[in-house]
Amino acid sequence: MIHKLDPNSKIIYIFVANIAPALIGARMATASFILISIVILTIGKVLHKTAPMLEFSGLILLTVAIIQGIFHQGNTTVAFALGSVVFYKEGLMFALGIALNVINILMSFSILVLTTKPSDMVETFVHMGLSPRLGYVMSSVFQIIPQMTKTMATITDAQRSRGMETEGKLKTRIKAFFPLISPVVMNSLISTKERAIALEVRGFGSKQKKTFLNDLQKTRYDDIFRFVLILILILSIFWRVLIWLK
Amino acid sequence: MAKIVAEHLKYKYPLSEKLALYDISFTIEPGEFIGIIGENNAGKSTLCQAMVGIVPNFYKGAYGGKVLIGDMEIAKSNISDICKKVGIVFQNPFNQVTGCKLTVYEEVAFGLENMGLPRSEMIDRIDYSLKLLDIYKYKDRNPFDLSGGQMQRMAIASIIAMRPEVIILDEPTSQLDPQGSEEVFRAVQNLSREGITIIMVEHKMEKIAEYSDRVMLLHEGKLIAFETPEKIFSRDDLDCYGVTAPAYTRICKSLGIKNKKTGFYPVTLEETKSLIGFSEKERCPYDQN
Amino acid sequence: MKRTSMWSFNLNTASLVLIPAAVGINYIGKLFAGALKLPLWLDSIGTILAACLAGPIVGAICGAINNIIYGFTLDPVSFIYAVTSIGIGVAAGILAYKGRIKTAVGAILSGLVIALVATVISTPINIGMYGGQTGNLWGDALFTWCTASHFPMWLASGLDELVVDIPDKVASVLIAFGIYKALPKNLTVLYKNDQKIERLD
Repeated sequence: MIHKLDPNSKIIYIFVANIAPALIGARMATASFILISIVILTIGKVLHKTAPMLEFSGLILLTVAIIQGIFHQGNTTVAFALGSVVFYKEGLMFALGIALNVINILMSFSILVLTTKPSDMVETFVHMGLSPRLGYVMSSVFQIIPQMTKTMATITDAQRSRGMETEGKLKTRIKAFFPLISPVVMNSLISTKERAIALEVRGFGSKQKKTFLNDLQKTRYDDIFRFVLILILILSIFWRVLIWLK
Repeated sequence: MAKIVAEHLKYKYPLSEKLALYDISFTIEPGEFIGIIGENNAGKSTLCQAMVGIVPNFYKGAYGGKVLIGDMEIAKSNISDICKKVGIVFQNPFNQVTGCKLTVYEEVAFGLENMGLPRSEMIDRIDYSLKLLDIYKYKDRNPFDLSGGQMQRMAIASIIAMRPEVIILDEPTSQLDPQGSEEVFRAVQNLSREGITIIMVEHKMEKIAEYSDRVMLLHEGKLIAFETPEKIFSRDDLDCYGVTAPAYTRICKSLGIKNKKTGFYPVTLEETKSLIGFSEKERCPYDQN
Repeated sequence: MKRTSMWSFNLNTASLVLIPAAVGINYIGKLFAGALKLPLWLDSIGTILAACLAGPIVGAICGAINNIIYGFTLDPVSFIYAVTSIGIGVAAGILAYKGRIKTAVGAILSGLVIALVATVISTPINIGMYGGQTGNLWGDALFTWCTASHFPMWLASGLDELVVDIPDKVASVLIAFGIYKALPKNLTVLYKNDQKIERLD
């Protein structure tokens, strides 16, 4: 069901999930949106796929907590001490705020990223008015990245099987990789000429309004979903104004 | 259907000192099958690209004379308009894939989307061209998962779907294995039967001789001759231009067997057979000699 | 030949097709640095190269798309750093257009300028997102020391970023310069958006 939502609705969600807490200005609001995102991701059966992203940011967030917990400029209240290292409450709360923000961004974007085909996403952007030429660039990058990863994996494997470990002295490691990578890089650049020509002869430069083989359809759920989101946004603006008037 | 006319066409690539095409003039009639031959760097690819506007509109450089497709003047038109009349297929099947589509079906649609065709017409045209090239069964595959021959047929199908009046094939089989080449040649023959004008650059002279109505011989950017295959391959100076005649012609030349009607050496197996009297009735040609 | 403005948005197809290749090169650089466990990112070589070949607009688009794609595939936080990548692309494009990246020395100096640009743009984002840290081991060590010594936040965070950006951008510009030199001239001329057709009649 989540997969069938119009990518536009998911983009609106990202927008609301990150703007509303900022308007409301409470950590609870951020936390609630993280919870909502987790629920949506669970319905879409893709929650587990957020793990690598969380791992990536989690490591930085951990160092943020440690460094800010000890050294944050406003530190006064001692929270706890590990041996001679003292952690302060202010720094830890500061780090918690950062962590909530980062995780909220991560989770809200994950809904779009993990439940939408890249090609559909780009097509939505083009429908919305992104230049089809830039649309081409985006979809072809989505195609190129897996190809490059594959090529690099092949190269790394070849290196290992030849006994050229990725360990050892830096200079030898670099020397071993260069002759393998440069042809990949050079070929990818040299082939741009032929690819550009191939696109040109298929009307890529056409001024005509483009049509689409696949049409995208908005479902009933989209309307409900969007209605709720906009309601939340309006309510949080209302909240902001109330606080401001007090 | 449109005639192709070149008048005193001259062209020089940017940063180059030498002319790549030197004062070329010719006329190609609708529905003809034209072969282009000559050694490497003779100007074959440049000439092909001059008929779709890549020369000069993509490369820029210096240009003289003109090329007309019907009443459309190439140098003054956009490639995106020219490509509705003239399609081109290149050597390397891999680099012709747009790289932005996930299936063969969508890949063929690329040109049609750019032309702004309605969806139903797109589907009709894609189905037709995939079937004509015999790759309909691969329609849901990723373009990069096809074999070389299949990829090249997809490239041809992508062009066919745009319904051009002229199709140019620039060494379409030079990077394919024998099986892939055969697949492509069979597809080209099918196209020719549909009445489309075909212009093909090819190093396999047997294929040029078999399919072509007329053959262009290029050398150092100049058009040396534009004649029937029999006349071209019967020339005595072919080796000066780095061209080798088809095997049958070479054998008949050394044996001195000419076609009495035309006065030229034969260029295909069929013609050779009939000349030396090899027919179904008389199975053994040695009896004749 | 007179060159038109480097800010033309009228991009030719060759320079557009250059962008996916450049993003691919960024990615190779990133994987390469990872595989060799280098303390650098090396993830803007393609952006810098594209900017040198086709100007600041292509450099900027390249940087933006690079981070949008990373945002979609690896880490959504990189959407926000698209601003930095755009800055890198624009800076490299201008430096190349002004003829500053013609020698190895020029490439090193340009690397320093680009590092400075990247730092100026990234630091506020780092402060807003991660309380000033970058996630790079050496940079964050310096950040910790600065914070412990009661440096102001912006300075600690700026130094954190700069200490990684300087070697990273200098190395990236040098590599991009090397690739640029190795490319055939009849290819690089295609990416220029200001070529005209001469008449021979």
